[in-house]
Amino acid sequence: MEGDVDRKATAAWSGCALPPMERLRAARADSPTPGLVEGTEPGAGQQAAMFVHSRSVEDLADEDAGESRGVPQLDADGDPGSSETSETSEKELQALQGEENIIETVQAPKETSWAESRTKEEDINSEGWRSHRKHVFVLSEAGKPIYSRYGTEEALSSTMGVMMALVSFVEADKNIIRSIHADGYSVVFLSKSPLVLVAVSRTCQSDQELIRELQYIYYQIVSLLTLTRLNHIFQHKQNYDLRRLLAGSEHLIDNLLRRQDRDPGLLLSAVTCLPMPGSSRDVVSASLQAAKTQSLVFSILLAGEQLVTLVRKKEQFLHHVDLHLVFNLVCSSSSSFREGEGWTPICLPKFNTAGFFHAHISYLEPASELCLVLVSTDCEDFFSLSDCKQRFLERLRKRGSAYQALKEAVKTPGYSVEQVGIPELRHFLYKSKSSGLYTSPEVPEMYQSEGEQERLMGLYQELHSRLHHTTRPLRYIYRCGETENLMAWLTSGFELYLCLTPLGTKALAMSAVNKLLKWIRKEEDRLFILSPLTY
Amino acid sequence: MSAMRVDTKVVMLGKESVGKTSLVERYVHHRFLVGPYQNTIGAAFVAKPIQVGEKVITLGIWDTAGSERYEAMSRIYYRGARAAIVCYDLTDSSSFQRARFWVKELQNCEEHCKIYLCGTKNDLVQADRSLRQIDFHDAQDFAEEIGAQHYETSSKTGNNVDELFQKVAEDYNDSAFQCMADEAAVDLGQKKDSYFYTCCHNN
Repeated sequence: MEGDVDRKATAAWSGCALPPMERLRAARADSPTPGLVEGTEPGAGQQAAMFVHSRSVEDLADEDAGESRGVPQLDADGDPGSSETSETSEKELQALQGEENIIETVQAPKETSWAESRTKEEDINSEGWRSHRKHVFVLSEAGKPIYSRYGTEEALSSTMGVMMALVSFVEADKNIIRSIHADGYSVVFLSKSPLVLVAVSRTCQSDQELIRELQYIYYQIVSLLTLTRLNHIFQHKQNYDLRRLLAGSEHLIDNLLRRQDRDPGLLLSAVTCLPMPGSSRDVVSASLQAAKTQSLVFSILLAGEQLVTLVRKKEQFLHHVDLHLVFNLVCSSSSSFREGEGWTPICLPKFNTAGFFHAHISYLEPASELCLVLVSTDCEDFFSLSDCKQRFLERLRKRGSAYQALKEAVKTPGYSVEQVGIPELRHFLYKSKSSGLYTSPEVPEMYQSEGEQERLMGLYQELHSRLHHTTRPLRYIYRCGETENLMAWLTSGFELYLCLTPLGTKALAMSAVNKLLKWIRKEEDRLFILSPLTY
Repeated sequence: MSAMRVDTKVVMLGKESVGKTSLVERYVHHRFLVGPYQNTIGAAFVAKPIQVGEKVITLGIWDTAGSERYEAMSRIYYRGARAAIVCYDLTDSSSFQRARFWVKELQNCEEHCKIYLCGTKNDLVQADRSLRQIDFHDAQDFAEEIGAQHYETSSKTGNNVDELFQKVAEDYNDSAFQCMADEAAVDLGQKKDSYFYTCCHNN
């Protein structure tokens, strides 16, 4: 097989890479339905993945599930607690709910900041405020508001006080409040001392999904401050107003929340790669590998929200949550990185919640989408990292064809589903579990409006939560709908979600899956990072 | 092409949203970005060569984040800086208090750093005098008290921006010259000592 020869060559050439196991290679080549075993699925890297080994959502939810397993869900009406609390909670819910009529709040992600300043000033007694599909609140254990997605925190201090009262009331009974369901609303609580996070949602997401989203918000805050500092602050002053420290960074949380509604990567706990020829990617990776310095831990090259390559220190792994936080930081920060060089402390909470890394952030060229993030352990090392970037750029320029291929790839960062050649297929998500990478075509025209895109994501979210249900997980789902048919398949090697035309049959869907897997196998060189490197 | 050689380190300090990044943008890229406020994350570094007399001096400008969150690590940004541009917003009196804080911090930790006090958003004040919250003379007095240069700039119109950085570069050039002169003076002094000695001896 051509691809195999190629890989063999790169493996030999990259030197430090472990040779792939024979068994693995054979499985890769011969398996008619590739990828039923972890590590052999299309897109699987040759060595241990670049990321911390993760089993999708469990990995985010497990800490939480551990501490609260067996705690019954609390129903607003069936609250066994004192009448006083249930009264306040009902009143509060009403305040949060508003009416049932759905007003789609359309926010174009590009012009967000203006919209943002408007939503911040929104009156919390208005219909508009009540009709948002998903509210997110962050408060301290003293009940002090820290963040609200809509409206100002000051105006919400009594609401947040009630939320805290609910949490501590249930805690007093040595129990944990997880969620309240009433009148089409889910109120989900996540208690992460010293913070409490609450989501109030009218979407059909499961509690588990909402908790996962809250976890991301929690990690975003930790990433800005470190957990050590957070604990320190609240140990010294319980009623500290954390907004002072988060001032100016609310938009990072806003952005993260918006991405959760449209970025499948956060759902799948995976990242997507810029499609480009594997050989060129390897050259880029090798150039990045060569530009190293003592304190460097991770070198990450991004194109927009796609990963080009990642080189890491041996034995050090980057968690996809941390990588998403890096993405979020780069994508939502000002133009100041564009022509200058950024130097910022960043805590990677899945790596270590106690301390800061220091990230050197710069664009390869002022007008380019290619952004290089060099993560170092030393806060004094700015200039040696700056030098690394220059060395990388020089090498890349010398290997002109690879750089050219990279620039070309940036111009066409996606691929259309037509390229796959399956007429009944509209869209899909494919995640290779062992590499933690996923691939997905551009959203087809019929799903391109903001509302439709979010609806499609909503469908995937639903499938995802069915597959990953904590008590009744499923392996296959096939669902016929009026507007589309959906199929999801979970194996030990991959996760696959398909959106098909509503006119097809189950048999057609099955054959589409087989064809798709073969196509991904054929294209894996282009769609995934098959030979990740280390320093 | 290796990393640009930087002659002197200049650090921008001040409360958030006073316009440090805008000032740097105006000076380095000659532009003013209209749009929603975006805060700087951590710090941004940019090197800018500037002509002083017949010499070219490269300023390494550190544009720091004003957010309180980064206060603890601001020291890594201003350590060794030869010049600090401490900004305050002419229309925001609290930002002047913050400027006083930075001046104190610099006086305590970085005594060799020359301070430039810079009132920003002058265009707003020009358009509507009632917006001014910091009196020019008050700021001037404060600047004299701490031995700082004082400027009022507008990044929107570019008013006084080049002058400010030009002054920073010239002062560096003079002081660099001064340094050499100082070194020479030390040498002379040593000779003088021996000269005096011989002098006394002779007497």
